[in-house]
Amino acid sequence: MKFAIALYSAAHTPSSRRALLFAQAALAGGHEIVRLFFYQDGVYSASNNIVAPQDEQDIAHQWREFVSQHQLDGVVCIAAALRRGVLNAEEATRYQRSAVNLEAPWALSGLGQLHDAIQGADRLICFGGP
Amino acid sequence: MSKSLLVISRQAPWSGPSAREALDIVLAGGAFDLPIGLLFLDDGVFQLAPHQDAKAVQQKDLGANLQALGLFGIDDVFACSHSLAERGLTPPASAQPLGNEDICRLIDRYDQVITL
Amino acid sequence: MSTLHVLSHSPFTDSRLDSCLRLCGREDAILLCGDGAYGLHSPALRTKGVKVFVLAEDMQARNLPLPDWADSVDYPGFVQLSIDYDKVNTWL
Repeated sequence: MKFAIALYSAAHTPSSRRALLFAQAALAGGHEIVRLFFYQDGVYSASNNIVAPQDEQDIAHQWREFVSQHQLDGVVCIAAALRRGVLNAEEATRYQRSAVNLEAPWALSGLGQLHDAIQGADRLICFGGP
Repeated sequence: MSKSLLVISRQAPWSGPSAREALDIVLAGGAFDLPIGLLFLDDGVFQLAPHQDAKAVQQKDLGANLQALGLFGIDDVFACSHSLAERGLTPPASAQPLGNEDICRLIDRYDQVITL
Repeated sequence: MSTLHVLSHSPFTDSRLDSCLRLCGREDAILLCGDGAYGLHSPALRTKGVKVFVLAEDMQARNLPLPDWADSVDYPGFVQLSIDYDKVNTWL
């Protein structure tokens, strides 16, 4: 089965962790993840500036490791990211902002990538809220 | 054949970016000529209330985006009758009112669904 | 077509479960996760007659007993449910 997984919530939410565990289970079950698409507050799950307390799960870090290890296509919606101050080097330069908090393996792109993933997958699974 | 997507918009117009971001998904799909439907449900029907004044809260008027739906080829726009009645709203011209059973069948007709 | 509805909000503070129960079909199922697991205490859900699943870790974390009208699933089970049903509708 081919999955498109869309995440709408930040790294500290239970739903971000739930999405990660679902994604891990999908690959472990022999399925394919066509794309991960982070939208709305999901863009925060791709921030590389999160400092998780020592005694808590660092979900943003785990997402990065997961995407890198499995060479997945991890896309963050550029419009949602800009509005929330999640910027890669290019956008930080373009908008003259002082901080870069989005790096590889994440790529910024538009909602077209969400639709493309939906067209290419057998299932779209969304995660968000609490 | 393209997979169809139903976007269910449940948030009131100015409770954050959610209403606008739901519409953005719909418009992006329309721009790619994909079969997209839009259902306003629960507080989402407040987006359809007439004579709202976005400027009063320094927000963007969603009305322009709603009017753009037709231009992007999005003609399947629906509103939940139950949600409208609960909130004392009359069915708008811009969305086809649907009862609960019809909405159940509507969800069944689409390949994928996103409920925001 | 059958839909797996996924709910993560508590039904005691949020209306998503109410709306879902109004609109879900006979072939559909509901997966409770996160605070949605408190739906196991919901009389409306019990009497609706739709198939109910709950994510095991959320039931366990909240010390919720599993009633006989619901089944618990782990993550591989969650993945399988998303395949068994034609589509997944998460009430974000």
